[in-house]
Amino acid sequence: MRTLLALVLLYTTYAFADETCMSPYMAKIEGQEDFVYVWTLGIEGVGDEQDKLVTVDVNPESEDYGKVVATLSVGGRNEAHHTGLTDDRRYLWAGGLDTNKIFIFDIHTDPAEPTLHETVADFVDKSGGVVGPHTFYALPGRMMLSGLSNNRDHGGRTALVEYTNAGDYVATYWMPTDDQLMGAEKSGQFADGYGYDVRVLPRRNLMLTSSFTGWNNYMMELGPLMADSEAMKAFGNTMVAWDLHARQPRKVLDVPGAPLEIRCAWGEDHDYCFTSTALTSKLWLVYADQDGEWQAEAVGDIGDASKIPLPVDISISNDDTRLWVNTWNDGMTRLFDISDPHNAKQIFEKKIGVQVNMVSQSWDGKRVYYTSSLLANWDKKSPQGPDLQYLKVYDFDGKELTQTLAIDFLAEKLGAPHQMRFGARALYGEQVTAR
Amino acid sequence: MRKVLLLVLTLQVSLAWGEAVVLAPGYGELAYEPPAAGTYSLPSLGTAVDGRVLDGNGKALNLYDLLDDRLVLMGFIYTHCSDVNGCPLASHVMKKVQARLVALPELRDQVRLVSLSFDPEQDTPEAMRDYARHFQHEDFDWRFMTTDSETDLQPILDGYGQWRQKLYREDGSYSGSMAHVLRVYLIDRDKRIRNIYSAGFLHPDTVVNDIRTVLMEATAVAEGGR
Repeated sequence: MRTLLALVLLYTTYAFADETCMSPYMAKIEGQEDFVYVWTLGIEGVGDEQDKLVTVDVNPESEDYGKVVATLSVGGRNEAHHTGLTDDRRYLWAGGLDTNKIFIFDIHTDPAEPTLHETVADFVDKSGGVVGPHTFYALPGRMMLSGLSNNRDHGGRTALVEYTNAGDYVATYWMPTDDQLMGAEKSGQFADGYGYDVRVLPRRNLMLTSSFTGWNNYMMELGPLMADSEAMKAFGNTMVAWDLHARQPRKVLDVPGAPLEIRCAWGEDHDYCFTSTALTSKLWLVYADQDGEWQAEAVGDIGDASKIPLPVDISISNDDTRLWVNTWNDGMTRLFDISDPHNAKQIFEKKIGVQVNMVSQSWDGKRVYYTSSLLANWDKKSPQGPDLQYLKVYDFDGKELTQTLAIDFLAEKLGAPHQMRFGARALYGEQVTAR
Repeated sequence: MRKVLLLVLTLQVSLAWGEAVVLAPGYGELAYEPPAAGTYSLPSLGTAVDGRVLDGNGKALNLYDLLDDRLVLMGFIYTHCSDVNGCPLASHVMKKVQARLVALPELRDQVRLVSLSFDPEQDTPEAMRDYARHFQHEDFDWRFMTTDSETDLQPILDGYGQWRQKLYREDGSYSGSMAHVLRVYLIDRDKRIRNIYSAGFLHPDTVVNDIRTVLMEATAVAEGGR
């Protein structure tokens, strides 16, 4: 059987499923991915206790299928969290929310065995005090990073930070606040200056950011945090629509309850993006109205908000009709029909584990990958077993998820798996052209 | 197991495998009002690198010779590129930029366009000269360059972070096609890269505004120094 791999060298009319959830400036894998790179938190008492990039062979035709083919420890624990590929897909950037280190891995020289190309250790100084490098988003020849916090009060006020692909600092763009709107329109009650994710719709010159919480909260134990009424007030309630080309904030939108991951639609006329709110368990839509103005609207409920399911990662299908939504606290994945983006309807659910955080799907939506870890101090510690800290892979036929692969990251002495990115040998090796 | 790589063309036609594709924004009207020139900044994205290149007559020169006195819009291309949203897009948009600048005397002599091939095997100086005939305006400075060899080319590609990959036929011969990420660079007189455009960003409206923005900044600096 032949693997079909497409390099899309363009813009936004195609989905990049995680492949569908990646930057539109990036080559994508349309066929069978060969590897999944899992950025993994070190855990005290587990293996070498260090954060590491774990490479798993996920091609069923490989003799190493299902095996961990490489681990690369980076020394110590940094609160490993998110990763992002450069636009040429040759390097994988990975961040630590506590130490603020950025690890740049070479994944093109040998896709089966990444190497550490560079470590950026001066992110806070270079950026003017931004803490918690979170999202690593590819722009042409550059990476846009979103922060979570700052070094003055370790609260939620933060910024976007731009780097070149070579790892050189370019600029910092602070989130608008009540006292510094920076030309943005405050359209509702809030302008909190918080940050979390960043995505773009280039065809509309839109850059969109969401908001979470600062270092004081994300490094706190979850129990004490939820019992601290003051701390619980320090979560973001905004999304910001930016002028992508000018890197200037244009409009602050009220999206209460910590809007986290942003996933934008791909259809040529689909000028909208989704997010989920962690504290209020809702799906929100940010869309262009008839006048071309960006608006935000709640379009669906995610489980029973009173039970605090805690929505986390989401993943949009390449045809803009489906949205996977994970809820970390109950370990559930839910599938929503978003054919009518203003009226999201849940059509499927399945329990994946004790906890579930990240979800990534292949380009065609036929394979869905899950990992478990959220934050070191928030992760559950029991019940012990294969459903606590894991990578799980499923086939999806449109109706059911069928598990095909599972790796217990504690039993394998790896740690707590967080974000996944796909790799393919064909992206870098000698190619055969079809024409 | 064989791996097949397709370059997905984004043309509004049905291709052999039935996939409709979409032209990049650079071929049409922008769907938004771009920010006005001078209302935003373009921070440096690093220093442009030098290298040995050949002009259409086969004359050897340094790339820096082309970056020393004007703003430069430089695109990496190869003439056999069949991806409508790849090199043809770059040349199309650059031709539109040229047309606008020709009509703007205050800008025309401050900007140079450079198209540099990353396929020295096929893109000889003569081939670049032939290609240039479709694009060059007699009243504008647009250079079509190549290199003498992969040895001369590779340091330039590395310096600009321009990735490309040759595609081979099943018998192992070079197909004449490459996979690559489209990139066009705006370089100021101090040889600093001020913007990088991909297919999603490359549009004459935004490029001309960026050129104006960098020139306005240079004028302000010059006036401030008086």
